[in-house]
Amino acid sequence: MSPSLTGTGHGAASRGGGGPPARAVPHWRRGLRPYLLIVPALLLTGGILYPFGLGLYYTVFDFAASKPQPDMVGPENYRRIFTESSFWESARVTVLYAVGAAAVETVLGVGVALLLHGSTRVGRVLEKILILPLMIAPVIAAIMWKLMLQPSVGVINHLLEPFGMGGVQWTDTPAGALLSSIAVDVWIYTPFVAILALAGLRSLPASPFEAAAVDGAGWWFTFRKLTLPMLWPYVLVAVIFRFMDSLKVFDIIYALTEGGPGDSTVVLQIRAYLEAIRFQRYSFGISYMIVLWAVVYLVTMVLVRYLGKVQNRAAEVPK
Amino acid sequence: MDMRVPDRRRFLTLTAAASATPLLSACGAGFGGNEERKGGGSAADDVTGSFDWKKARGRTVKALLNKHPYTDALIADLKSFTEKTGIEVEYDVFPEDNYFDKLTVDLSSGRASYDIFMLGAYMVWQYGPPGWLEDLGPWMSNSSATGAEWDQGDFFPNLLQAGQWSLKAGAPLGQGGQYALPWGWETNVVAYNTEVFKKLGLRPAETFDELREMSGAIKRRAPGAGFDGMYGVAVRGSRSWATIHPGFMTMYSRYGLKDFTVDGGRITPAMNSPEAVAFTRDWAEMVKKGGPPSWTSYTWYQCSSDLGAKKAGMLFDADTAAYFQAVKGASPASGKIAFHPGPKGPDGSLATNMWIWSLGMNARSGNKHAAWLFLQWATGKEHLRRAAVEGNHIDPVRRSVSQDGAYKDKMKGIEGFIETFETVVDQTKIQFTPQEQFFDATTSWAAALQEIYGGKNATSVLNGLAGDLASKVG
Amino acid sequence: MKRRLLAVAADGALILYFVFALFPVAWMIILSLKPANELFSTYFSFTPTLDAYRTVLGAGSDEGVPFLRFFVNSLVVSLGAVGLSLVIGLPAAYAAARWRFRGSENLMFTLLSFRFAPELTVIIPLFVLYQKLGLFDSYVGMVWVLQLVTLPLIVWIMRSYFSDLSPELEQAALLDGYTRKQAFFKVALPLVGPGIAAVSLLAFIFAWNNFVFPLVLTSSEAQTVTVGALSFLGGDRPKYNLTAAAALVSVVPPLLLALTIQRYLVRGLSFGAVKS
Repeated sequence: MSPSLTGTGHGAASRGGGGPPARAVPHWRRGLRPYLLIVPALLLTGGILYPFGLGLYYTVFDFAASKPQPDMVGPENYRRIFTESSFWESARVTVLYAVGAAAVETVLGVGVALLLHGSTRVGRVLEKILILPLMIAPVIAAIMWKLMLQPSVGVINHLLEPFGMGGVQWTDTPAGALLSSIAVDVWIYTPFVAILALAGLRSLPASPFEAAAVDGAGWWFTFRKLTLPMLWPYVLVAVIFRFMDSLKVFDIIYALTEGGPGDSTVVLQIRAYLEAIRFQRYSFGISYMIVLWAVVYLVTMVLVRYLGKVQNRAAEVPK
Repeated sequence: MDMRVPDRRRFLTLTAAASATPLLSACGAGFGGNEERKGGGSAADDVTGSFDWKKARGRTVKALLNKHPYTDALIADLKSFTEKTGIEVEYDVFPEDNYFDKLTVDLSSGRASYDIFMLGAYMVWQYGPPGWLEDLGPWMSNSSATGAEWDQGDFFPNLLQAGQWSLKAGAPLGQGGQYALPWGWETNVVAYNTEVFKKLGLRPAETFDELREMSGAIKRRAPGAGFDGMYGVAVRGSRSWATIHPGFMTMYSRYGLKDFTVDGGRITPAMNSPEAVAFTRDWAEMVKKGGPPSWTSYTWYQCSSDLGAKKAGMLFDADTAAYFQAVKGASPASGKIAFHPGPKGPDGSLATNMWIWSLGMNARSGNKHAAWLFLQWATGKEHLRRAAVEGNHIDPVRRSVSQDGAYKDKMKGIEGFIETFETVVDQTKIQFTPQEQFFDATTSWAAALQEIYGGKNATSVLNGLAGDLASKVG
Repeated sequence: MKRRLLAVAADGALILYFVFALFPVAWMIILSLKPANELFSTYFSFTPTLDAYRTVLGAGSDEGVPFLRFFVNSLVVSLGAVGLSLVIGLPAAYAAARWRFRGSENLMFTLLSFRFAPELTVIIPLFVLYQKLGLFDSYVGMVWVLQLVTLPLIVWIMRSYFSDLSPELEQAALLDGYTRKQAFFKVALPLVGPGIAAVSLLAFIFAWNNFVFPLVLTSSEAQTVTVGALSFLGGDRPKYNLTAAAALVSVVPPLLLALTIQRYLVRGLSFGAVKS
């Protein structure tokens, strides 16, 4: 095992050890202790989210800079959101963006991790700088990408010119704007998935693979039947984080397209920002965010449930 | 002053989270406004006796500033303010792209974290009605608070009026309270690359038709004449309110077109009138044939840097966006940029829209006298002259500074700058209809412009926009 | 032969990805070395200058951005946030992995759900709250709010590390007379050391790069580099060279941390060897 950033030396032993560990300890003393250990974490984060409750409360009013004395309007804000076609359009773009970005990052991230894991000399060098894109703040990365993609003075079109592609207008069409934003997201966050996948790979037990090799199993078979199912729980945690974050994407799109052209990249968080901060229709904007939050909540719940199943299944694979 | 402060403080602590009703006024984003002032009159009335710069010495004023050459000039001169008044100034400078987010959150929270801040005339329409801005009128007219040397009549009248409003949607500027003072500004004109104009035998366009024709011609001919990748005219195109107000609104106004019509308090969107539709279609066409590639991502950064990099033959935007590329050593186009008022309207109009970096005071400031002395100094002749001559405060808001010999000498090096400035200054004013939903309206307008540029039918897009805005603005 | 070819192809694919991943960084380095008047007119051939770095670091600068102070602020705030998250988060992750108790999944999910509350939802009320509690523009306030970024990440990733760890070792330790606390500190914790290192690094990076919270919740005292770096884009001309230089300077701490952690990882691995 190489002494690298992502090396996790513990896995080989534990995996061979048997079933899901959490279940292996039912006879341990029960009681308050686990709660005592978890509650501080909840209080610390929950405490800061106390204003979130207030936000929720605002949504039944019609607070706005132009309406300093608000009236209680009940579910009116939500009714408006769900009946406006612009909401559904934003929701559609948001989902496209999130699915697109998370999917590409997963495939690319796992691919890079597999290659780094299998590679010898080249990989060892490259692995050290894998994390670099993640270190540039996303707001700044997006601005730099915008500059690079600017057809008039940007470096990318300059480099593409010899290939007859110097005139590409990256963000000038709805599809182009969405794809360019996804590309920037992929550039920033693929290393995040790759690192967690690599850490997972390094902690897989050796024995099943040795057995498979003895049986003369092919590369594809080994990958599909062994590597992927065992690796999946690690990757899935990364995917959940990526998917959650890209559903509420803001800074990349704000810097790159500001939601344009037309309304084509106005994702939910952009619209919420415009409503709540820029246009100062506070209650309405916050309702947008609450809806977004609910969407992320539900989607993540499904994913996490699936993660639980996958973890259980993965634990059974080596047997 | 604010009777609810104790309440608010109590309810805002973590422990009081459960008590529901007062929360709105408590935590609320402070939308309660400052109605408490209505009965009490202005704090300016408390200042009596003869005027004295030292009256508030020992105080500290907090300022929120945006990163800008005007700001740099102000900060460089702060020492002389402190010497003059005995007032210390603490300031925070934030990046331009996020400055207004910062300011908006701060003001809407109902806190007085800053006594003074920079804002634009359009922000008055959003910040004024909820009562976040101090009416400076009583301060200006109080001779105990304001020295004679401040000389209100010295400001260009359109600039002073831009910050004056009755807070009623649709009511014209120049009436009511003074919610912001002009400090530095930008007029929107055409700047062009003299090199390419000479080579192609062009003269600045005098009509919009000429401008459109010329933009396309530069895009077709300049690359062959040694200007690699050059296009005709740089104008903003991003999906932002800031796309509408410079070149677009200027040309739109020169055609005599209005954003809204106001009829007895009723505001009706007018960007879909047949004439407006025709103009908008022409504008989009001009951008397509002679504008920048990837136009829909263009903010002033891109416009300005393209002019400097000799990628744009012309720029129809703020004069500052061109000026800072034109000065010596700033860019490859330095020394080769000249100014022109831009195309006239069909009836010869040079109506021009503008951006004013103004200074405003927080209505909740507990330090208003000191804050007013600061505003008075920052917009006074002494500082503004120094900032214009020694700093980069290039568009003077005062007539006296614009006529100052040292200032004129400094600007002489830039071809056509002073002539252009003097030609348009009297016709330059805020061309928009003041109303609270300005940012929504112009953002949607920019999105509509992008759709028309993308090939959608101008009439239906603008009708859609007007219909949408009618319900929001009316 | 076929295997060799495959290996070469794999290296080729890897290099291709890294060209994509590293080119923008390389471009930022180039940009940061350009003279201010050539930002948009040259690509690769220009006379490099360190002016941008000089300006960013405050030497001979008229830009008026106290970047070095922002830098220190970022460092304090990010390290504080990660440190606090580790202290609070590791026990929580351990508990969630080792005990199955009523509501454990729900508690964990609630914690995760804090992470996806859109920042903008809370920002205005949070701003008011911070003003009232005196946390506005303070290190403590920033460390606290950044828990939303760092804590769920650390708890969730560390939980999968802990639950991957065989409980037998701790049980053996308990039989040897260790207390539960000792078993955690002396057995479990060292074994997941590499995981802690990796996740701390990620959490540090996310805290370091956060933008919305420092923008709204700080002013001059606790402002961070991310906000500071953007200051160079305002005013007269967009000074991308300064922004690039500022961004690159602010990559240094996470980069150093990554390298430090690599050394630590070697130690972590030797614990792993003991275990097997």
